[in-house]
Amino acid sequence: MSDAPAIRAQGLGKSYGAGVMALEDIDLEVAPGERLGFLGPNGAGKTTFIRCALGILNPTAGSIAIRGHDITRDRMAALAEVGYVPGDLGMIRAVTGRRMLDALSALHPRPPVLQDRLLAALELGPDALGKRIRDYSTGMRQKLGLVAALQHDPPVIILDEPTSGLDPVMQARLLEVLDERAREGRTVFFSSHVLGEVDELCDRVAMVRGGKLLLVRDVGELRRTRVRTVEVLFDREVDPSAYRVDGMGEVRVEGHVHHFTLSGDPGPLLARIGPLAPRDITIEAARLEDVFRALYLGDGD
Amino acid sequence: MGVVFSLTMRRAIRRVLLLGVALGAFLFLVGLSYSSVDENQIRSLVESLPPALQAFVKGSDIASPAGYLGSTFIHPITLSILAATAIAAGAAPARDVEHGVAELVLSRPVTRTAWLGAEVIAMVVQVTIVAIMGFIGALIAITTVDALAPVSVGNLAITTLPLLILFIGIGAITMLAGSFSRTAARAIGWGTAFALVAYALDYLAQVWGLAEPLGPLSVMHWYRPATILGSGSAPASTWIVLSLVAVVATALAVAVTSRREVAP
Repeated sequence: MSDAPAIRAQGLGKSYGAGVMALEDIDLEVAPGERLGFLGPNGAGKTTFIRCALGILNPTAGSIAIRGHDITRDRMAALAEVGYVPGDLGMIRAVTGRRMLDALSALHPRPPVLQDRLLAALELGPDALGKRIRDYSTGMRQKLGLVAALQHDPPVIILDEPTSGLDPVMQARLLEVLDERAREGRTVFFSSHVLGEVDELCDRVAMVRGGKLLLVRDVGELRRTRVRTVEVLFDREVDPSAYRVDGMGEVRVEGHVHHFTLSGDPGPLLARIGPLAPRDITIEAARLEDVFRALYLGDGD
Repeated sequence: MGVVFSLTMRRAIRRVLLLGVALGAFLFLVGLSYSSVDENQIRSLVESLPPALQAFVKGSDIASPAGYLGSTFIHPITLSILAATAIAAGAAPARDVEHGVAELVLSRPVTRTAWLGAEVIAMVVQVTIVAIMGFIGALIAITTVDALAPVSVGNLAITTLPLLILFIGIGAITMLAGSFSRTAARAIGWGTAFALVAYALDYLAQVWGLAEPLGPLSVMHWYRPATILGSGSAPASTWIVLSLVAVVATALAVAVTSRREVAP
């Protein structure tokens, strides 16, 4: 089973009543050790997909398996491989953080080998753990949920918008922790609508909209195909045709400053423009956010 | 299973102890008040009441020690305290679904049957704690009030037991309603409605001839505490019907929960 995909969905569908399709014919395979960002706006079906993967919701079509264990037929074995942080984290507010953590630890067959390290990394000390959860801030609850999910060093880590409620320092710390887990061969399935963190952490992204999978692509490949904004400053008047290359958009000239867009590799442009001795060139880094916007805004509904 | 039980009990224990103290104090105080009762005056007073009011004590002789103390077991305060305990405990699984606790627990390798089983046991334990504290209050009354001396401890215990099963059944009905629902409020609503309809049906069957045949449809019909307290035994039908309600409702709740979705 260890060679099986970490997550494999085949024709996965979920409908509510007549005509309300939350997920439609999703085929997705996540390899062991992969970091996959699962992107989509609110209501796209990200949480529904995750809940179907964990047997919290019952798929109405297709199947989904974790490390080869089908979630409907072999739920216990599948869940023993997973550490999960729900987006809407529910905790029993009347108990202390320590008791909640120990209780959740006892429900998992794997020992909590990473508990101490995670508590230190996320700065949850004995004082915080001694408080009742009703006295926790949203961020503290989120940190407790993260420790509870990751403490067993699960082979498959499924996180549904895990940085919500965390301050920027803790967000960065969490991404470091996840990066470390991934480098040790754990699979990270990371649902988010914050593109920056997916860009930073993930190898591949899957994008969903309206319950359908739009694309699954390598992050680097997406960046390479992205249109960049270029700004060139000359110290004299220059005709844009002198440096025109394939993939360039229309050039807007303001004084000695030229603005245009460029798709694809910027190498040929630099080769053509270099002999013209520009004073400054700014090529805005291709961002995943631009891809995301293009897909959601450009493709139409 | 033990973990879920422990978490559920920790959340409920303060409420349960408060309700238990309230029930114990109530049964003790009512028992204590019997020392100031003149049997004959009470008997003539009850006989002078219209049938609609006599029905509140299910026709028992409340002037007698067993009838007086037995009537407190079906007093609205006793029933309300036990119903509050059973319904709150029975709604716990629905509350856990609503607040995402079920999602957190069941995303770990825990079966739904084990999860609900732990909640059922917690519900039974909570109702039992409150019933036992009520029993203790009544026990203190019969051991300290001379006029209640004819009531034996054994009879008191055998009267408390079907009361306990009756409210475990109401808790199980609430749990069954909760297994169809994503909110605790709906489960509490159905549990409360079941208890109120059962009480009303039993009452109507006693005061209105036309409704009399409907009486056995109410679980309350099968519990006659004054009779049990006086005789020291409950009819087999009491044990069978009350146990069946609890067992069937629990089994149905488990069956529905094993297939239900537990997302908030």
